[in-house]
Amino acid sequence: MKKIFYSLLVCLLVSCNSEKKSDEVNLYSQRHYSVDKLQYENFEKLTGIKVNVIKANADELIERLKNEGENSPADLFVTVDAGKLYKANDMGLLQKISSDVINSNVSEKLKDKNGFWIPITYRARVLVYSNERVTKDELSTYEDLVDKKWKGRILVRSSSNAYNQALMSSIVANNGAEASIEWSKGMVNNFARDPKGSDRDQVKAIAAGQGDIAVVNSYYIGLLLTSEKKEELNAGKAVTVFFPNQGENQRGSHINISGIGLAKNSPNKQNAIKLMEYLTSEAGQKTYVNNSYEYPANPSVSPSEIVKSWGEFKIDELDLNMLGEYRDQAIRIFDETGWK
Amino acid sequence: MEIKGIFKLENKSWVLGSVIVAILVLLPILFLIRGLLKIEESDLLYLLNTILLEYTLNTFYLIFITSLFSLFFGILPAWYISKYKFAGRSFFDITLYLPLAIPSYIMAFTYSDILSFTGPIQSFLRTHFNSISNIFNKDYLQIEVLGVVLALALYPYIYSASRISFSLIGVNYVNLSKNLGLSKTKSFFKIFLPLSKPAILSGLFLVIMEVLNEYGAVKYFGINTYTSGIFRAWFSMNNIGTAIQLSIILLIVVLSLLYLEKLINAKSKFNYSINSKRQNLRNLKKKKLFLVYIVCSIPVFFGFFIPLGFIINNVILTYFKIDFNQLFELVSNSIKVSTIASILIIIIALLFLFIEKITKSKINHVISQLISLGYALPGAVIGLSLILMATSFNDIFSSLSIMGSFYLLIYAYVIRFLAVGKSPIKSSLDKHPDSYTDTAKNLGLSPIMQLKEIYLPINKFALITAFIVTFIDLMKELPITLILRPFNFDTLGTQTYEYAIEEMIPLSSIYSLSIIIISSVMLLFLKNIINKQINVPRG
Repeated sequence: MKKIFYSLLVCLLVSCNSEKKSDEVNLYSQRHYSVDKLQYENFEKLTGIKVNVIKANADELIERLKNEGENSPADLFVTVDAGKLYKANDMGLLQKISSDVINSNVSEKLKDKNGFWIPITYRARVLVYSNERVTKDELSTYEDLVDKKWKGRILVRSSSNAYNQALMSSIVANNGAEASIEWSKGMVNNFARDPKGSDRDQVKAIAAGQGDIAVVNSYYIGLLLTSEKKEELNAGKAVTVFFPNQGENQRGSHINISGIGLAKNSPNKQNAIKLMEYLTSEAGQKTYVNNSYEYPANPSVSPSEIVKSWGEFKIDELDLNMLGEYRDQAIRIFDETGWK
Repeated sequence: MEIKGIFKLENKSWVLGSVIVAILVLLPILFLIRGLLKIEESDLLYLLNTILLEYTLNTFYLIFITSLFSLFFGILPAWYISKYKFAGRSFFDITLYLPLAIPSYIMAFTYSDILSFTGPIQSFLRTHFNSISNIFNKDYLQIEVLGVVLALALYPYIYSASRISFSLIGVNYVNLSKNLGLSKTKSFFKIFLPLSKPAILSGLFLVIMEVLNEYGAVKYFGINTYTSGIFRAWFSMNNIGTAIQLSIILLIVVLSLLYLEKLINAKSKFNYSINSKRQNLRNLKKKKLFLVYIVCSIPVFFGFFIPLGFIINNVILTYFKIDFNQLFELVSNSIKVSTIASILIIIIALLFLFIEKITKSKINHVISQLISLGYALPGAVIGLSLILMATSFNDIFSSLSIMGSFYLLIYAYVIRFLAVGKSPIKSSLDKHPDSYTDTAKNLGLSPIMQLKEIYLPINKFALITAFIVTFIDLMKELPITLILRPFNFDTLGTQTYEYAIEEMIPLSSIYSLSIIIISSVMLLFLKNIINKQINVPRG
């Protein structure tokens, strides 16, 4: 008994011996792709600054940040949804970022007008359609998806998914609440099945003939087209990507960013800014596009070959903060119109 | 007189000590309850009017399906293996435990992949039997499918409980049933099943708790359960107050369930050890053999070998991408935190139960019930409660940098899994008559000596069982680790999950395979221990 107790104590002490370094930067990150790990390793080699990461769900990280208050070790908050950056800033958890380097690195269209967060990559929420059962000229806008001709043909994942919440927020911001309620009802009416599964599953369901069009994030198509599994590859090839709302007077396709906010009480602010400068630089952006299917936030870098093959498109230039501003309303519309 | 006096004094300090530890264990939950009082604006009514009813009904339906299939997968094999001799019996007796090594969300992801349009079954049919392939081209992400899949992951709780119980029911009962002229089927329903009811119910209770806590799998299947409601309030609606309200309601429901289980069990109190001899295994008629193989194979193959094969295939496909250094680090992290937390849990559980036993104090009886509360809350909510607590002690805690440390993580694990470690120790202690304690007292043994000389040795198996069961649960743990972990800290569980939710299931496979291998090895140990307990004297 005693032996167990003492060895336990030793174990605890050893494992809890956290080293404190000044040359570090601490990230609370919702992103957990392998490309991120690569980025931080490259940054560390270049600058000698160690990147420490805690990965969790964005809302959990916000909760942690909020409760830690002034004592928070976090320097940067990294998310895959502008809405969460808006939320963090709304709760007073971020501070302004001033860096000419970052400012000139990233595209004007993706910036936070108030300067509390920066974009690192972006992705479009696009339509994919069955090559067999749909032709390109049948498709036009998100709004058109409620047309009767799509009854029983639309596939999409559940409303608890942040990408759908962001899409609905953009619809509310662009078209107003009433029109959005009608749109949501129309969508639910046209669903091929109850919302479920991942974005990849929606594409597979098209291949399986369970529906004809799906609303998905662009980079999942990239993942399918490079899958280790032949059958998944075939599913990816059975569909084509379509960018909605591209007409002359139309607003463009809905996009969302992966972005970073600077924590209000950042203890290593200089290092944090250096990291953001690196991630938005050409070198950093090239690492993103070479290892994922996201679009770069830096306009001087072009996306990967697969992504390029889908063609260029007009993005919805809605202030991305609106994706957070209208989030609550969007959720209520989902609930009230039965979008599961 | 003198000895008794010393005893009372010592007992008081023991009781006091246990009260203090209990407060520590319950503290975060108190902060959660305190959070209730601070709620400014609640969306509870809104949720009631829109989605909560549907979410609750879904939960009941899912629990119903999972329970039904878990009982079916668990009880029948346990019956045949406990009573009959047949070739392959020992193989099944070992492997029937193994599905417990597979985290339920991995089971769900794996089956949705296996059944999907691009999965092996449908692909095979399309290539070789194109004409009938369409019959199987269905949407398998259904609540009924999920119920069965979860049952495949969870039935071992019921199997192990009924396996032990069936084996321990003595030969007297068998003879009785023979004398009464009962057929084998009748004696199963009239004697063995009723006598094993408490054991089966406690296994079923664990199954229900696991379903209630399930989040990843239900979300993926697009089935909204009550727990999804908690997270909808917290994450989507950004209303923590409502999330806390919903959690407390869940806590009350689970408490009532626990109480109900106790009531039922109290009615059927029954002591195995009174029953003289164990029974001999009987031979099986050839006709029945086929049925027995089917009944034993279904849970083993669908619950373990098929998902395992699929995962191994994924590992082979992605072999060239495996980072072995990272893999070793994660294996070591997972084993480290699981071991530390399991040992702590056992020490604390033993402390409470032992003190309850020797003092027979009512306070301690209540305490040892209350410390199980953590099991009734979803892991992420436990994490939240610790964050809330840390906030309240902000100044003290930050100077010690408790937040974001291993201490907090381990603390949370202890709160969440104390009930798991407690249960085997409690059932072992309950088997020993109080006369042990009285004799020890008369001999003038101090409580420490009693623990060392009597209770530790005679409960050795129970303690090891408790360690293994808790260890496996911790290996699979996910939400608490995600929300409370320190910087740069990953476990096999978190890494599996991160790839899985990014829809890169093949890449996650090497990590889930590691969890399965480690947990399986532990389960094999457990099986040995159980065998020692149920197979010793054979008349």
